Amino acid sequence: MGTIVTPIVSLFAGAVLAGGTIFGLVSTQTSSGPSPADSNNPVIDYGSNK
Amino acid sequence: MRRALPVAWSALLTAVMLWQALGPGYVLSYDMVWVPDLAMRPDFLGLGSALPRAVPSDAVVAALDEVVPGMLLQKVVLVGALMGAGLGAARLAPPHSLTGQLAAISLYQWNPFVIERLLIGHWPVLLGYAVLPWLVVASRRARKHQRFPPVLCLLLPVASLSASAGLMAALVILLLGWGPRLRTNLALVATVVAANAPWLVAGAVHVEAATTDPLGAEVFGLHGTRWLPAPVAALGLGGSWNSDVVPASRGGALGLIALLGVLVLCAFGVRHWWRNTDRRETLGLLICWVVGWGIAVLTWACPGAMGSLYEHVPGAGLLRDGSRMLALCAPLLVATASHGVGELRARVGAAEAPGVAATVALVLFPVAVLPDAAWGGSGALHAVDYPDSYAAAADVVEDVRARGGDGDVVVLPFTSYRAPEWNERRKVLDPLGRYLDPDFVVSGDLAVDGRTVAGEDPRAVRVGVALARRTPQARAEALADLGIGFVVLDKDEVLPGLPAELAPEVAGRRTEAGRVTVIALTDPAPAATSPGTRAAVTVGWLLYLALLAGAAGSVVRNLARRRGSGVS
Repeated sequence: MGTIVTPIVSLFAGAVLAGGTIFGLVSTQTSSGPSPADSNNPVIDYGSNK
Repeated sequence: MRRALPVAWSALLTAVMLWQALGPGYVLSYDMVWVPDLAMRPDFLGLGSALPRAVPSDAVVAALDEVVPGMLLQKVVLVGALMGAGLGAARLAPPHSLTGQLAAISLYQWNPFVIERLLIGHWPVLLGYAVLPWLVVASRRARKHQRFPPVLCLLLPVASLSASAGLMAALVILLLGWGPRLRTNLALVATVVAANAPWLVAGAVHVEAATTDPLGAEVFGLHGTRWLPAPVAALGLGGSWNSDVVPASRGGALGLIALLGVLVLCAFGVRHWWRNTDRRETLGLLICWVVGWGIAVLTWACPGAMGSLYEHVPGAGLLRDGSRMLALCAPLLVATASHGVGELRARVGAAEAPGVAATVALVLFPVAVLPDAAWGGSGALHAVDYPDSYAAAADVVEDVRARGGDGDVVVLPFTSYRAPEWNERRKVLDPLGRYLDPDFVVSGDLAVDGRTVAGEDPRAVRVGVALARRTPQARAEALADLGIGFVVLDKDEVLPGLPAELAPEVAGRRTEAGRVTVIALTDPAPAATSPGTRAAVTVGWLLYLALLAGAAGSVVRNLARRRGSGVS
């Protein structure tokens, strides 16, 4: 049983991870990127806990 | 192939993560400020009035960029930190599992800790993080040969470019390298002390400024994400206080999947790792993990007690950025997970297609669950050029100094962070002070969500008082009494609604340099540093330099030995 299941699971996982990685990398390259600092705030915050 | 593939994989991951940082220009993100030619100045050596937060990193950069231009040096450092980290981690994986080594590289190079520290600009911490696995490797040699490994003369100074990273490196090497020979142990302790001497001595001579605002405990402690409470997020090396630098994927289901996946791999590998690793190394890495995770969780669980500690114990503020200490957890996490990968890969067997698929899945997993770390954190690390006004202002300041002008610089607005238009409105610690040659005084106050964590520099507080005086002439005189010779106004940073006292008019000789105004003050008070302070700081630096000299000597000896054996 294991001799059949393990290769199938491996192939499935490899395909999903490879596809997911490519999709993720492509979509993040075309994303709008980080939001800029709030231009209404005259003193720039170091960061946020929210 | 077995040697080349890990190097190629590490280089590929580095290129994808740093892609936008590698173009022409400077990466300016939060605390990461690099300029074309950083001038050496007394503050960088630890002689200023502020806590030596950037000792020795600023001085080392100022020295190195005399040889390598600042723009190139920054890229070399960032690439070196990531590749050094990945290739070091491969040494913690099972030696006979190529899949395990590649997965170790992925896990150590591509995780929340790395991208969050990159985005917040803590490059010295990343260098320290990169050195940790190499310290584990060096300690193996120390235990095996019962003698001091000379490579520590190079590794520890690199790991100790920031105080907190230096402490973490010290813990790792002392726990893992300590052995039965007194002489080796003494050499280890001496090397650790020498590597950390610049900031230790500079901190000791500023002990009156070495306590911090207790509010920092609440603000900078370990934080969780939407789905992961802080202690759980820390298990996967996440938990930055600053949600602005946490990749969006961490807040969703991918963050949970990432954590579960890594923990499953660790659970799979822990038995194999325990059986096949030297007991000193297993126990040492376990202790490091407990210390790192424990301190990080304490900053989340007991902000009141930690705040009290920072307020009353000099130097305790080193711990306030809780998630920084998670670097100590990474070697154990990666060692056990990579052994788990090796085990899983072995179960798949030697069949070609399933084997390759399993390798692909296990090696790509960390990237697939944190895709927004790619391309410089989705654009957050895009390299930019400085505006011409900066170079013009630097020329004006140098011109005044060449004609006998003196004194330090205050940059207005008197606030810590900027979000310049030319930096694509991304936040950065005010870079203008570093761009100019003299010492500079900056406001140490940090605004977070409308709350202000007070800075520690007493001179910055006095500068703030001087700027609040009633007339431009009174301000100029008060500043000159504090040793300020130049007030530099960055007009683009005077945003609507800025409180007047943060960028008031100051009397003096004004020169316009594009969008920057340089005001030269008359008769600034000369800098006053006691001879004792100078002597102590000099000793600290001599110890540090002695280590580097030791490293250079070791390299020369090795080369000579190799050449000698080649001839015979």
